[in-house]
Amino acid sequence: MDKPILDIIEVAKIYGGNEILKSISLQVKEGDTVVLIGPSGTGKSTLLRCINLLTRIDRGRILLGDQEITAPAVNEDKVRQQIGMVFQDFLLFNHLTALDNVMIAPIRVKKMSKAAAREKALYELERVGLKDKAGNYPGQLSGGQKQRVAIARALAMDPRIMLFDEPTSALDPELIGEVLEVMRKLALEGMTMVCVTHEMGFAREVATNIVFMEKGLIVEQGSPDKMFNHPEFPRTREFLWKITELYGKHDQDKAAG
Amino acid sequence: MKRFLSILSLIGILALLLAACGNAEPANRWEAVKSAGKLVVGTSPDYPPFESKDATGKFEGFDVDLMNEVAKRMGVTVEWTDMPFDSLVAAVQTGKLDASISAFNYDEERAKQVDFTEAYYTAKDGFLVADTFAGTISKPEDVAAYKVGAQSGTVQADWIDANLVQAGLLPAENFLLYERVDQAALDVKAGRIDVLMGDNIPLAALAADLGGLKVAFEDTVASGEFMIILPKEEAELQAELNKAIAALQSEGFIDQLAQKWFK
Amino acid sequence: MNEYLPFILGGIGVTLGVSLIALPMGFVLGLLLALVRIYGPRWARTIVGVYSTIMRGIPPIVLLFLLYFLMSGAINLSPFAAGSLALGIISSAYQLEILRGAFLSVSSGQMMAARAVGMTRIQAIRHILLPQALRIAIPPWSNEVANLIKDSSLVYALGVPEILRRAQTVSAATTEFFLAFGIAAMVYFLLVFFSNRMLDWVEQKTRIPAF
Repeated sequence: MDKPILDIIEVAKIYGGNEILKSISLQVKEGDTVVLIGPSGTGKSTLLRCINLLTRIDRGRILLGDQEITAPAVNEDKVRQQIGMVFQDFLLFNHLTALDNVMIAPIRVKKMSKAAAREKALYELERVGLKDKAGNYPGQLSGGQKQRVAIARALAMDPRIMLFDEPTSALDPELIGEVLEVMRKLALEGMTMVCVTHEMGFAREVATNIVFMEKGLIVEQGSPDKMFNHPEFPRTREFLWKITELYGKHDQDKAAG
Repeated sequence: MKRFLSILSLIGILALLLAACGNAEPANRWEAVKSAGKLVVGTSPDYPPFESKDATGKFEGFDVDLMNEVAKRMGVTVEWTDMPFDSLVAAVQTGKLDASISAFNYDEERAKQVDFTEAYYTAKDGFLVADTFAGTISKPEDVAAYKVGAQSGTVQADWIDANLVQAGLLPAENFLLYERVDQAALDVKAGRIDVLMGDNIPLAALAADLGGLKVAFEDTVASGEFMIILPKEEAELQAELNKAIAALQSEGFIDQLAQKWFK
Repeated sequence: MNEYLPFILGGIGVTLGVSLIALPMGFVLGLLLALVRIYGPRWARTIVGVYSTIMRGIPPIVLLFLLYFLMSGAINLSPFAAGSLALGIISSAYQLEILRGAFLSVSSGQMMAARAVGMTRIQAIRHILLPQALRIAIPPWSNEVANLIKDSSLVYALGVPEILRRAQTVSAATTEFFLAFGIAAMVYFLLVFFSNRMLDWVEQKTRIPAF
């Protein structure tokens, strides 16, 4: 079996006496698209933040490739350079144009030349279909466009893995499709992705692995076929049924449109 | 009282700070002044004719001329510093200034913070009468028996008002205020008033100029002695200043200055 | 009176000089302290907080005296230099609070996003937070500029003959109080007016589109 690119080993996170993550073990292989699902407040977003070290874990270990990134002496900034992160509320740099948003990290962090960074940024903007909006400020972009710029910003650092934290939850329904389309394309191109999302259509179509979390634990995981059609646990079935009911309608809309 | 307390605590803090800093200044300020060749003197140039500035911003006035000459006698030059009157004592006390001349009167509270030189000038009150004046003035209150004039805004006018008119000794209609002191002197000559009370030196000058007038009596009830202030416990500097002041006094230099500025 | 005009107006240079030393100095100091106050270790935050409270809590004229005489114990400074430095230190406390407010009003997500693309804390502050905070700080900052220009008159207590002190001197020499102080008031007004117009212009120029 392939060595995983991301290996999460018995990770726990405690906030003020609450065990948000109790003991999570999860492996992600290169090129996988892992979709984390589960009720809200169950620790999915916390897990993503632990992976890119925005939140410090209390127990366990996380390995990126061969490196244990949760080891004490690790340079966290170097680790984050290899992990792209997309937030629910975009968090574009408000004072920079779309192009500069994408360029700034390569220039400042990777010390890339301005010209090279610009070329790279334009390439990434083209990948998300926004090359023509390069000169726009965040305030001049729609929510869906903002999120696509945010994806381009993360991609510009050539990350080994991309984390998506409910990337479509803050969007109006008609703007969700364009973001999912970009994510689908990335998955097909072989990007390793860990996504927290309620978009079951996307999960069913794109995920290599669906992970159902509840109350700080992984209840069950498996292929979309297994999870949707033959889940082992009644809780999984119940949750997937509910969520499909809730979100299924615009999945069908999308299929129709 | 509040203001006094805040100033007091400020001075207390200053003293502590200065003590903590452990000044590396030479033990003797006069030696330091001598070797620097200059005396740093503060004044508040908003009190003509003692100190003011001319249109080019140059310091001028009685105190200014005097201090320049005092320094000359001491073999140094003056470096003038413009400070508000309220800052001068603190600046001298903390040694930012070597001395300050700004029409300072002796004051016991002040004497706790700084030292004074001998008086360089005693503003005397003069009582100008006509040569033909038949009455006698042997003490200031005696003028209450006559028609009295003074220049408005002067310390003498204030004194007459407070001590004679308010006290009921001098009827208000017998007290005349003049805009200009020379006009008042002319009225003495013309017999419209009997006595003019004012600053001694300008009055003496007027008597000489106009003729037929004399200063019948001098006293210091209204005005007082002016002194230079300097940091405490600088006996050598104090002695040098006093020596120069004494010399200028005996040479008549100070009287000449008074003629120049107080006319 | 006319012949005194150049003398009074000569004070503009002093007032501007004091302001142009104190303002940038207060800004640099205030910015460093604001960063310590927000991002520094707990003990340093406490110290800066105390510094800010003291500096803003004491009347500037008293502080000016204290700093002047305190500094004069250590180094021999001209009244002009000492007055400018002291005003700069006082202003640093106000600018610290202005900048702290500005930094805190930049959403915390900006820092997180900057860290997520691999920037260090310093890089995030320098390239992401600072440019946004400075824009936010312009309106309150122009207020501080006006205050500082007016407070610069306080250095006269140390013997620096700026406009107000010169007006006082002239009013004593000529007894034309209203004219002398009227000229001083006009000069202050013009200085504040033009500096604020300049900052308005900067604010317009640096405005983020559609933000």
